[in-house]
Amino acid sequence: MEIKFERVEGTSFQYRVALLVFGGFALVGLLSTLWVMKYGIGRTGMTNRVPWGLQIVMAVYYIGLSAGSLVISGLYGVFGKLEYKPFARIAVYLATLFLIAGLLSILTDQGRLDRVFVQPFVHFNLQSMFSINPILYNGHILICLIYLWALFTERKRTTTVVATLAFGWAFCVHSGTGAIFGFGARVLYESPLLPASFVAAAMASGTALMIVMIVGLFRATNRPLDDELICWLGRFLAICVLVVFYFLFVENAYRFYVVELREAAHYFLFGGFHSLLFWIGLIFFGLVVPMCILFNPRTGKSIPWIVLASSLVIFGVLCERYVIVVPGLTNPPDLFPGMEIVHDPALVEGYATYSISTQEVLQALGVLGVVGFLFLLGLKYLELLPTEARIHPD
Amino acid sequence: MAGGSGALALRLLTTSSAGAPGKDSPLAGKRMGMVIDVGKCQPDCDKCIKACQQENNVVQAAAHKNHELAVHWIRKVTIRKKIETDEKAKKAEAAQKSVILVCNHCDNPPCAQVCPVRATFKREDGIVLVDHHRCIGCRYCMIACPYNARYFNFEDVEVHEEDLNKDRPKRSHGVAESCTLCAHRLDAVDQDGNPSPRVPACVEACENGALAVGDMNDKTSTVYELLRDYAVKRLKEDLGTEPKVHYIGL
Amino acid sequence: MPENAAHGRSGNGRGLLVSILVLIVLAPLGYYVVRGTAVALGGKPSVEFLERPATQDDRCIWNMEAGEMRLHHWEHLARIREDVVRFGKRDVPGLNECRNCHQSRANFCDRCHNQVSLTPDCFGCHYYPDNEHWDPQRFPER
Repeated sequence: MEIKFERVEGTSFQYRVALLVFGGFALVGLLSTLWVMKYGIGRTGMTNRVPWGLQIVMAVYYIGLSAGSLVISGLYGVFGKLEYKPFARIAVYLATLFLIAGLLSILTDQGRLDRVFVQPFVHFNLQSMFSINPILYNGHILICLIYLWALFTERKRTTTVVATLAFGWAFCVHSGTGAIFGFGARVLYESPLLPASFVAAAMASGTALMIVMIVGLFRATNRPLDDELICWLGRFLAICVLVVFYFLFVENAYRFYVVELREAAHYFLFGGFHSLLFWIGLIFFGLVVPMCILFNPRTGKSIPWIVLASSLVIFGVLCERYVIVVPGLTNPPDLFPGMEIVHDPALVEGYATYSISTQEVLQALGVLGVVGFLFLLGLKYLELLPTEARIHPD
Repeated sequence: MAGGSGALALRLLTTSSAGAPGKDSPLAGKRMGMVIDVGKCQPDCDKCIKACQQENNVVQAAAHKNHELAVHWIRKVTIRKKIETDEKAKKAEAAQKSVILVCNHCDNPPCAQVCPVRATFKREDGIVLVDHHRCIGCRYCMIACPYNARYFNFEDVEVHEEDLNKDRPKRSHGVAESCTLCAHRLDAVDQDGNPSPRVPACVEACENGALAVGDMNDKTSTVYELLRDYAVKRLKEDLGTEPKVHYIGL
Repeated sequence: MPENAAHGRSGNGRGLLVSILVLIVLAPLGYYVVRGTAVALGGKPSVEFLERPATQDDRCIWNMEAGEMRLHHWEHLARIREDVVRFGKRDVPGLNECRNCHQSRANFCDRCHNQVSLTPDCFGCHYYPDNEHWDPQRFPER
């Protein structure tokens, strides 16, 4: 079976508008980052009680998206499913871009951006997840680039080897990202399940993103696409979503079961804005509705429905990232068990609040702009898109 | 003067470069700790906090537009037993305690463990410090600290030159910080380079004798005697961080 | 096919994309290259004199020649910094002691730093009087 890859012409009106929009995002993000560098990150929504905000949420989210894309390429590269070869290149390219996006999000969140390029390399601390993760991330980008090269030059053996390596490495990347939180001292963070549940959520969001991208790109450029391929991806997505659901259930059930964690669990599930995101954004729209769509025999075979379900999963996992990062910080540590704090002139008593600021949104958009811009350029200058994706070509 | 400066130059050249502390390390064998007598602390006194701000150029909360961005090396909270009804609440009014909270200078500091650049570290004498020259501002230490004892310089606040303690640095925006136990006072030296330690600013300012800082290995120190004679509690001991700030009567 | 028509042009395009990626990676490095070149082309070769101390005694407390001071002061400062911050050794005079004699940052520090386009972080936190007085008495005749 011969699969031809080609470039898009990139002269259409829509293409140019998209390029302009993403470029604009990137520019705005760059400006706001420069502004933040000059004045410090004091004018974001972060405070001393909630020192991590939207940037970290987005970083974790982008890194998750990157893994899932890699899984799709692994279908061909690792498992040798030839019918998914058409998507391999675009999947690896997206995986690379989103990992870069994750790194950019973390970078723009640092207090002293001028030192980030020097100090971590000079003074390495293997005890810190923040020191281990850059190795994993940068290694992942490197492996992805080699993988891309192998795919472009059609080296079959190299592809299999590198794809398997990338597949395993991706698991480490996501476990490492989960471990940033899971190995922490906060009540709502501390959980050995978190690395595993990060992998599951990453696979779900990445697969969903690939479904949306593939269908969107093939429809926009009028390329033939076999529905059955997407339906199979939809079923795969459904299983990923089920696993995410399972992990969420176990974690929260455990928190409710153990007496000392019950208060924190109550705060997590019924404590404010994040609970709303959890129940409506994540559980209802992010997991239940997509599962209903994907497991239903009728809608599970319809491309528009699958795309809808995928979009919901993409949104739901974003909510999941938020409810992992933020409530763990707003929930205060119980310094005096059995006592209550009556008066605290220095810090706000009880639960802290966090509100997303414009500054952070602009930075997050900027990172998305960089990804979108590079992706569009890639479509134009690299042979990413196949002429067709069919199971049984004539 | 010439001889003096010659000796100085010798010290300058022989002083150990970054690496393992030499045998002549002034910190060897010490284990710095703090004892806070909760019963002696007066509820409406904030002399220690003021003294700390003055000594270490910590900007007052009032100077920040957003008070939640303020830095507190030392802070004070009022606590009481958890109570359900109003009647009991009245009884409990008297039982309120004011508790001083500072960095606990843990023996197993989670903040130092997670620091990706080793800017946060535990000194040989057990004091946990932040090297502000190296901190990249990732705020992972604030996430890791189970005591909320770390603060971040979110913004630069102008300090008038007359309010500034000119011998101590300010902090630029973008670095994390916390109580240093006034390490600069503890290892102060006199003209000839012999140690002449002073007590930390908060201890000096406390008129009630509620605070004590010293070497827990030194059998002549106040801290040693207090730890020997009183039952003490530490915060969140179950975490295994082994904090070195002890409370009497908490 | 339209793709074939675009083929010749997009050969350059791929190069463009690669160069953009390389530029992004090398941007931090490039910044210093550009700035260094700008300084080398536009700047003066070196500072010829420094302000002499306000005190009567001419000897530096570090007992160093001016030339060595100019070339190596940051290395010594960095080493003292490590010793003070990490190992609690405070028996060597540091930045705070410099200002006892050299009382003006503008004349003692910034003159050189400006010429070589350096903005060290020191004074963001450490106090150094910033008075821009000019006392010709304290500069050796040239």
